[in-house]
Amino acid sequence: MNTDWSVITGFLPELLDGAEMTLYITLVGLAGGMAVGVVAGLMRAYGHWTLNYVAMAYIELIRGTPIVVQVMFLYFALPVLASIRIDPLTAAMIAIVVNAGAYIAEIVRGALQSISRGLAEAGLALGLPRWKVLVYIVGPLAFRRLIPPLGNQCIVSLKDTSLFIVIGVSELTRTGQEIMAANFRAVEIWTAIAAIYLIMTGTLTLLLRVIERRLRIL
Amino acid sequence: MSIIQFRGVSKHFDELRVLDEVDLSIEQGEVVVLIGPSGSGKSTLLRCINGLEQITGGDLRVDDISVLAGNARLREIRQEAGMVFQQFNLFPQLTALQNVAFGPRHVRGKSRREAEEIGLELLDKVGLKERAHHYPAELSGGQQQRVAIARALAVRPKVMLFDEPTSALDPELKQEVLNVMRNLAEEGMTMVVVTHEMAFARQVGSRLIFMEHGKIAVDGDPCEMLCNPTNPRLKDFLRHVH
Ligand SMILES: Nc1ncnc2c1ncn2[C@@H]1O[C@H](COP(=O)(O)OP(=O)(O)OP(=O)(O)O)[C@@H](O)[C@H]1O
Ligand SMILES: [Mg+2]
Repeated sequence: MNTDWSVITGFLPELLDGAEMTLYITLVGLAGGMAVGVVAGLMRAYGHWTLNYVAMAYIELIRGTPIVVQVMFLYFALPVLASIRIDPLTAAMIAIVVNAGAYIAEIVRGALQSISRGLAEAGLALGLPRWKVLVYIVGPLAFRRLIPPLGNQCIVSLKDTSLFIVIGVSELTRTGQEIMAANFRAVEIWTAIAAIYLIMTGTLTLLLRVIERRLRIL
Repeated sequence: MSIIQFRGVSKHFDELRVLDEVDLSIEQGEVVVLIGPSGSGKSTLLRCINGLEQITGGDLRVDDISVLAGNARLREIRQEAGMVFQQFNLFPQLTALQNVAFGPRHVRGKSRREAEEIGLELLDKVGLKERAHHYPAELSGGQQQRVAIARALAVRPKVMLFDEPTSALDPELKQEVLNVMRNLAEEGMTMVVVTHEMAFARQVGSRLIFMEHGKIAVDGDPCEMLCNPTNPRLKDFLRHVH
């Protein structure tokens, strides 16, 4: 078997374009996922029973189905069902929003509920309205506990984008696949792709370390 | 007019009746000490006063505001009635001073500077001015509880509710907290105190209430009740506490 690592330099611009697309989908998807997750998490933690059930149904639906099925549904089934046609990139981003949102909702709920009841009661007993107890006391404390599992979810979502190969989004994995199909340099290409994923997830991990060190868990 | 007025107040947790048609009037300036066996409803009675538990029957008024008059009125009651918890419940992400300044800032709407001034004044009152910039985790239990008292006082309540404020403390730390409470009583603060400290009840209390099964079993002068208890169950209870 002869490997020739120099072929990578030739394909590097293409691979980096793929990586950029991967990052773009991840960032947009996670930004939306966090918004959805915070809302659904609050509904789970504090909503009265209807809101609570709506959030629970959403979370169970998403956690109970594979993300590949979710994105296939968005891309292939939605046009048939509701004649809503979306391009692959939009479908990919929505899939991350919806998918990460469900997991983040549970992370948010868990963090909120891990804060001792006594602290919220101390706030209420001072005469604070509930929203201020959430914003000034429970929220900041829960936020610190949110960081580690949230970081984990960011890494998972980043890697999940590789599954969008199935709808033809030209993210990193798909780019590699296309290069491969042309030149059959499997070892070099897939090694390079793995390395690029590692650099992206490694940077995320480092970033999280820094944030965690800044925010002591209380 | 009584500052706290219970009229036939009941509290149920589902089927469990924890307060059973309690009638009780507390006047301004009284120091009411609440004792009774575990599960007799002392904490619940206290927590009904500031609406941390919602009453399920009867009428309960604080400074003539009903605890059932809605959220806005309930917040007024909570500003009138400060509470100190067994577990201190200081906000761990805030320094002692920030904890005490929290109420003035976010409940009373004072400026940051005014709130800080009030905070320092009250930390001084509980003897912890030099600890102002320490976090709760850096304070002893006794110090934390004194900060918690200062935090409640900073909202300028008319009544202070204490739920076993020294029960989580080592014996040598109890006294510093009891001293702060004693000073508060001497200043004329209206207080309702759940405690097992009988010396405090006798020396500082102006009134002693013995609760049993969600009812007030005995209500009277602390010295008389503790020195010559006539109620057999109170007698029995006191034997176990000592
Ligand atoms: N949130 C709750 N849900 C259900 N039952 C409760 C709740 N809070 C208290 N109880 C029950 O109500 C009864 C009275 O409780 P409470 O805490 O008022 O007693 P207490 O006199 O303060 O006892 P202790 O001396 O142990 O603190 C107990 O039987 C307790 O189990
Ligand atoms: Mg109790």
